[in-house]
Amino acid sequence: MNISHDLGAPVLELDGLTVKLGRRTILDGLEASFSGRAIGLLGPNGAGKTTLLRTLLGFYPPTSGGARVFGRELSSSAKEIRAEIGYMPESDAYIANITAIHFVRLMAELSGLPPDAALERSHEALFYVGLGEARYRKVGTFSTGMKQMVKLAQALVHGPRLLMLDEPTNGLDPPARKRMIDLVCDIRDRGTSRIILSSHLLGDVETVCDEVLILKNGKIADSCDLEADRQANKNFVEVDLEAPNDKFDSAVAALGCEIASLEPGKLKLVMPADVSTRELWIAADETGAGIRRLDLKRDSLQDIFLRAMEGN
Amino acid sequence: MAVYERIWRRYDGNVTPLKWRAAVVTKYALAEAFSSRIFAAFYVLCLLPTTVGVFLVYLSHNVSLLEKVGLTAEFMGGLTAVFFQFLFGWQALPAFLVAVVVSPSLIAADLSNNALSLYLSRPISQRDYVLGKMAVLAILLSPITWMGGLLIFVLQAYLEGNNWGIENWRIGMAYFVGHITWIVVISLLTLAISAWVRFKPAARGALFGIIFILAGFAQAINAVTGTSVGDLIHLTRAIANVVMSIFGGPTQGNLPIALNWFTLVATCAVSIWMLRRKLRAHEVIG
Repeated sequence: MNISHDLGAPVLELDGLTVKLGRRTILDGLEASFSGRAIGLLGPNGAGKTTLLRTLLGFYPPTSGGARVFGRELSSSAKEIRAEIGYMPESDAYIANITAIHFVRLMAELSGLPPDAALERSHEALFYVGLGEARYRKVGTFSTGMKQMVKLAQALVHGPRLLMLDEPTNGLDPPARKRMIDLVCDIRDRGTSRIILSSHLLGDVETVCDEVLILKNGKIADSCDLEADRQANKNFVEVDLEAPNDKFDSAVAALGCEIASLEPGKLKLVMPADVSTRELWIAADETGAGIRRLDLKRDSLQDIFLRAMEGN
Repeated sequence: MAVYERIWRRYDGNVTPLKWRAAVVTKYALAEAFSSRIFAAFYVLCLLPTTVGVFLVYLSHNVSLLEKVGLTAEFMGGLTAVFFQFLFGWQALPAFLVAVVVSPSLIAADLSNNALSLYLSRPISQRDYVLGKMAVLAILLSPITWMGGLLIFVLQAYLEGNNWGIENWRIGMAYFVGHITWIVVISLLTLAISAWVRFKPAARGALFGIIFILAGFAQAINAVTGTSVGDLIHLTRAIANVVMSIFGGPTQGNLPIALNWFTLVATCAVSIWMLRRKLRAHEVIG
C-alpha cells in the first residue's frame, strides 16, 4: 500500500492504553489519535516513551485499554503490526561478531524479504546511512555513531510503513546527530513511511515531527499538531518601526493584513496566507518606513513542553 | 536500483510466509556454526561412529572381502542387539559434544548485545526464535544420531534379509525414539544454559557440570540412601534406561522406567522455564 495515498488515515490510535509492570503503572490511560507523517514522543526520562513503543511492538501486554496501528488491533494482530514496523531501539542492539551486511541482511530476511532482495536492500540501506564502505566490517568493531547508523539501517532495510526510532541521536556528536536527523527528515519527506520519534531532545522532535505527544509520569501531559500550529502561526508577525508611519499602515492594510497596534510604531499583523514577509519589506521601502525588528511569532515546542510539564 | 543513488524507498516485492521466518534464524545460525573450519572438521569426525557402523555391517555380510582380510563371517559374533546398543552410545556421545560446542554461541551472542529485541520486533515470536535455534541442533545432531542409526539398521535388514528388520523392529525404534528424545533434551538444556550463561567457556563448563557432576552426585545419593532415588537427577542414566527399555535390554538401577521418563520431561520443563524467563526483548522491572 502506498502511504502517500492514505495520508490522513490514523497511524496510531490509543484507547485508554494502560500498562503496568509489576505493581508500577507505566502508562496510564493514554487516549489519543495521530495521523501525521512524523509523530514525536516527548517527555522526561521515565515518562513512558520507550514503554509505549515496546507496547506497540507487543513486548508488553496492555493491562487495560488498547491501541491500533494503521487500524490494526494490537491485541489481535501483533505479528501483522510488527511486519510493518522498523524499530530502532534506544540501547545498543547488534550482533557483534558478524559483518554489517550480514547483520542487516539477517534482519531483512526476518522481516520477510527473500534472500536476494534482502541482500540487495542491505547494500542499499548501508550505503544510504553512510556505512557503504564499512559494510564488510564486524559490527562489534564499529564506533558508537556507526552502531547507531547500522541500527537505523536494519530498521529501514525492509521498507517498513512505520519507523519507530527511540532516541536515535543518543551518543552522537553534533555532525553525526545532524546527519541522523537529515536522514530521518529525508525518509519523512519521501512520504512512503511514517515515523514515530521518541526523544527527550526538543530540537530533534521539532525538526522532524509534525505531531507531538508529551508524556509525563505515564500520562498524556499534552499533545499538539505542530504542523497545524506552524501553518496557523506562519502569518502572525510583530513589526517594530523606527517611527510611526501611517503610509506603511495603509500599505499593509492594502495587502490584506489585519493590524493591531500595540503602541505607536509597534504593530502586530496577521497576514493572509498568500502574503509573505518580503512584501512587508517592499511596502516599508516604498513608504519610507524603517523596520527595526520583524518577528515571525509562534509558540516554540519548548514553550509547549514547559507548559505541559508545569501544568501537571 | 544501484547503491550509488543512496535514496530511501519502500519495498513492494514479495515477502516470505510468516510460518517460515523461524527458518531464517536456523539458516543464519547454521552458517555461523560452519564458518569455523575447526568445527566443520570436528563435525565430520563425529560422523565416524556411523561410518564405522556402516562399514562393519557391510563387512560382516561380505564373505569374499572377509576372506581377503583373513577373517570369517563370525568375526563379530554376529550383529546382535548388543552391537547396536554399543553403537547407540557411540553416536549419542559425539552428539552431546556437538551440542556443547555449538549451543553456547546460539543464544548468548544475541543476548550479549541486546539483539534479541531486534529479532522480536520482527514478526517472529519468542517460540519461533527458540524453535529456530533448536532446529540448528536438530539438523546438526540428526545425521550423527538417528539418521545414521536408521541407516545402519536398514542396511543390516537389507543385507540380512529373512525378515530380520521386522523381527528386530525394537532396534530401529530405539534408535529413532532414543536419539530424538536425546536431541530434544540436550537441545533444550544447552539452549537454556546458553541463555543464562553468556560466557562461552563457562556455559560449556556448566553443561559438563550438569551432566557429569550431577551424575556423580546422584550416585553418591544412591550409595548413602541405599536406594536408586538419586537416579532422578542422573540424566545420562535416565536416557540410557529409556533406550534400553525400548531395546528390550537390562536397565540400571531400580527406578521404574516411568520415573526415567519423568527425569527427562522435568529437565525439558525446567529448560523451557529458563528460556521463557530469559528470552525477553526487554527487562521487566518489578
